[in-house]
Parts: sequence; structure tokens; C-alpha cells
Amino acid sequence: MLQVYLPIAEVSVNLLVMLGLGAAVGFLSGMFGVGGGFLLTPLLMFSGVSAPIAVATGANQIVATSVSGALAQWRRGNIDLRMANVLIAGGAVGAFIGVLLLRLLRQIGQAGLLISLTYVVFLGAIGVLMLIESARVIHKARSGKPVPARRGSAHNWIHGLPLKMRFPTSRLYISTIPPLVIGAVVGLLAAFLGAGGGFIMVPAMIYLLRMPTNIVIGTSMFQIIFVTAIVTLLQATFNHSLDVVLALILAIGGVIGGQFGVRAGHKLKGEHLRLLLALLVLAVAFRLLLDLVLKPEDVYSIVPQLVGA
Amino acid sequence: MMARGLWLLFALCALSPAPAGAAEPAPTETVQSDVSTREISIQSNFAGIEIVIFGSIDFSHALAPDEGNYDVITVIRSPAEPIVVRRKEQVAGIWVNRAGRTFKGVPGFYAVLGTRPFKAITTEDTLKQLGVGFSNLEFGKNAQDDATVAAYRSALTRLKQDQNLFQEHDDGVTFIGRSLFRASVDLPANVPLGRYTTDVYLFRDGHLISKSEGTLEVSQAGFERAVSLLARDHPFVYGLAAVTIAVMIGLFGWVVFRRD
Repeated sequence: MLQVYLPIAEVSVNLLVMLGLGAAVGFLSGMFGVGGGFLLTPLLMFSGVSAPIAVATGANQIVATSVSGALAQWRRGNIDLRMANVLIAGGAVGAFIGVLLLRLLRQIGQAGLLISLTYVVFLGAIGVLMLIESARVIHKARSGKPVPARRGSAHNWIHGLPLKMRFPTSRLYISTIPPLVIGAVVGLLAAFLGAGGGFIMVPAMIYLLRMPTNIVIGTSMFQIIFVTAIVTLLQATFNHSLDVVLALILAIGGVIGGQFGVRAGHKLKGEHLRLLLALLVLAVAFRLLLDLVLKPEDVYSIVPQLVGA
Repeated sequence: MMARGLWLLFALCALSPAPAGAAEPAPTETVQSDVSTREISIQSNFAGIEIVIFGSIDFSHALAPDEGNYDVITVIRSPAEPIVVRRKEQVAGIWVNRAGRTFKGVPGFYAVLGTRPFKAITTEDTLKQLGVGFSNLEFGKNAQDDATVAAYRSALTRLKQDQNLFQEHDDGVTFIGRSLFRASVDLPANVPLGRYTTDVYLFRDGHLISKSEGTLEVSQAGFERAVSLLARDHPFVYGLAAVTIAVMIGLFGWVVFRRD
């Protein structure tokens, strides 16, 4: 019961199911300290929301969760504003390209496929890497050997690039080209996957830009607010695929679920959390892969022709 | 009062210039109809609706409801829209949309109801002309008309049927008196918006003798209407509003649950 009609998706969904979905993803994102978009968008797709609407609405939902997270980081002084601005500038360009690409793919009927494939590749790769890393840490901790601190390899070529800028908060003096490119890639992914892209952004900032870890999380959360806000605006304007009612329901569930998730997260060790997240990410990737590989119930599908196609 | 009224009616009939059995032909039967709900507004709790199309035959010659002289077929359809039908094929182990056909004018909703199987009511030609039955629907001129188009056509019909957006009920119209009939249709929760037409055709001995047309309007109302109008006409403002709402929810969450 409690069916709610979504005005843009033009379908009825169950209010409690969608609130629960928002809360579950919020719980996981609070527990693991991630944006959750990469879980939300596939889950929306599994529950029958079309891929383009899931992607646009997912981006809008991340705005809400990252505002909460970034405010907490802001109070601890963990945001490098100058770096965030450069990342957002790159992100805006990437988002624009991503939204237009999505529009093109929708017209030729390949948007759903490309979104699923990109998810399978990214979630699969990240899941496997995290699984190996956390399993190694757990194994070493059990055998009593000290765990060597991770160190990024030297990236001298990055320091040779022009257009250098000083980033006092991160104590860096580097070229603006790498952060611009990283920002653009994340913006593209945000438009394409409806995810904040923290899973790309955080490792890139640590290992490529060599920013201090505490600054990385805050800066990543801060820039995600703006990149997903830009994506939301562009999706609404160019693709008409944003459903504000669905986003509202998900965001309310997400904010509440997130608080319980943070508490649950404090009770678990970091490497155990990462192992759980890795398994979850792999499960989602596997499910998406199954949908691509198994023979569909009906090989035919119908969609209204897009205006202007 | 009642007896007096009847008596008056009888007197009027007796005085009328064309008594039964006269040499002049009896007036031809005409059909009149209407819909139970002319305006359907979709709000957040909309879960589908049943509409009733009812009508009567003026100058009916039938003596009892089940006297099979008359047949009625009614067609309810929403505005036509272009629909793309795509077919998945396996490429390198993955199911991919390969080929597709665009049908320029497919009714978003189409229901046809009759007193008995359509082919028993009238000729195939008449059914085709009136667009009665899935097989007689015109989906608009197709640019890529070829042999495979038939497969796409039937897939389109089947998928629309699965969503209850195409309905065929050959026992959907019932007579409840000598001249009164009714037909009910379930509009599912996913009905398309727009001005629907309701056509009622009256047949006698296989011949179309009268037709009645009506419309019904399916539209969004209240908040839903405001949201979809804003999204369509001012998408940037709509997006801005969505972002603002998300920021507010985020702020609210931080204020309510902050731990620092």
C-alpha cells in the first residue's frame, strides 16, 4: 500500500519501499563513509526505475548526503577550498560532456547498457582491489606481523607539468592540470553513473596528488556537493530525467539511515568495514552483470521516442 | 401520480402521427453514449480507475435485453505518440539492443469492447475501417516497412497488453434493458495523459447504423501537475529547486543529528 505517483517517471512506486531503500543506502554510506550513489543508482534500477531517471535522481540525492558530511568536515577544518575550486571547475566540464553523452546514448537506445557496463567495470575493479587489500591487512594482523604503512609511488611527471599553483591547506605546490583532469573524470562519472565518484576521487587525491588523507575526505565531500548539483541541473535541463518526488523520498530516508550507519561503523574495525564494503560492491556488480548476460524475459522493449530525436 | 403519468404517455403515443404498422418506415435507431468520469485527475495516490461507458439506443426495436438484434462496439483511445520498439541480441555474451523500429502513431492507451466476438458482429473490412481490434490498429506510416516489421508490431502489441495499456474484451459490453447498455474499462495506474476519445458503434445485422463520439480527459492535478509543468516548461528552475531541497534536507540532517 501507500503507492506514490512519480510525476516525471510517470509510474507509481511504494512509498515505504523507496524510503527503506533511501535509508538502507544512507545506513551503508554512513557506516562506510562513502557517498552511496554507486549503490543507490543500481538499486533503483533493480526496483524498476529506468536507468536515466535513476542516474539523475541519484545525483540529486547525493547533494543531500554530502551536505551533511561536508559540514561536519568543515568544522574540523578538513577542506582545501582552493583545491576544491579547481576540482569543481574540471567537474563542471566533465558533467556537461557526460550529460550530453547520456542524451545521445538514450536516443540510440544504449544508455541503460552503457550505464550497466560502466558500473560492472568500476564496481568490479574497485571491489576486487578492496577485497585483496583488506584481506591482506586482516591476514597480517592475525599473524602478528606489523602492517607496513601504504606509500604512494613518486609521480615525478606530475611535478613537471606547467600551470603550477600553491595549495596552502594541503601544503602542495603542483600543476593545476592533474586536479582539473581528475575533476573532469569524476564529473563525467557523476553524470553517467549518478554517483559522487568518491571511490575514484579519494584514491586519486591520495596517490596522484599526494594530499594529506584528512584533507582528502573533506575536500572530496565538499566538491561532490557542487559537482552533483551541477549534474542535477544539467540532467533536469537537457534530459528531463530528474524526478524530484523520488529524490525527496530517498533523501529523507538517506539522512535518517545515515545517522544509524555512522554509529554502526564505529563498532567495526577499518579493515573489516572495507572487506564488507568490498563484498557488497562485488554483489551489486555481479547482479548487474547477470542482468546483462542472462537472456532477458523479453528481447523486445518499447520506449516513447525522445523529443528532438 | 404514477398511474396518471403512464396514462398520459399512452394517450400521447396514441395521438402520435406514426402508429406502429403504418406504411412509412420506422425511424432508424441512433445510439447515444457518455462516460462515467469525463475528467480523471492523477494525484499522488492514483492507483488506476474504472470508468463506465454507458449509452442507449433510441427507437430500439428489441423486445428483450438478450434479443440479439443489436451489437455495440466501443473504442477508447488516448492520443497517438511515436514509440520505438527495440530488440536485444547477444553480442559477445551480453544482451544488447541491436535493431529497432519506430512506429509514428501508437495510441498510448487503447481498449476495445464489444457485445460478442468482433468478427461475429460485422465484416473484417468494417472492423479494419473502424480500427477495431489490435490487428486492425494503424500505427502510422513506417519508414522502414519490411518483412521484419510484423515481428516488431506484434511485440509492441504484446508489451502494451502486458502493461494493460492495450485491452480487448469481446464480452465487455452488456445490455441491461431493451435499449440501455454499459461497458466498463480499468485504466491502470500508468495511463498516459491526454484527451481520450470514446467511440461507440451500433450495429444491426452486421451493418453499422449509428455512431456516438465522446471524450474524456486524463490530466495531472494539484502538486503533480505543478511539478511536471515546471519540469517541462522551466527545467532549469526545476533543477535549481531540486538542488535547494536536497541542500535543505542535508542541512536539516546535520542540525538534527550533529555529534560535534
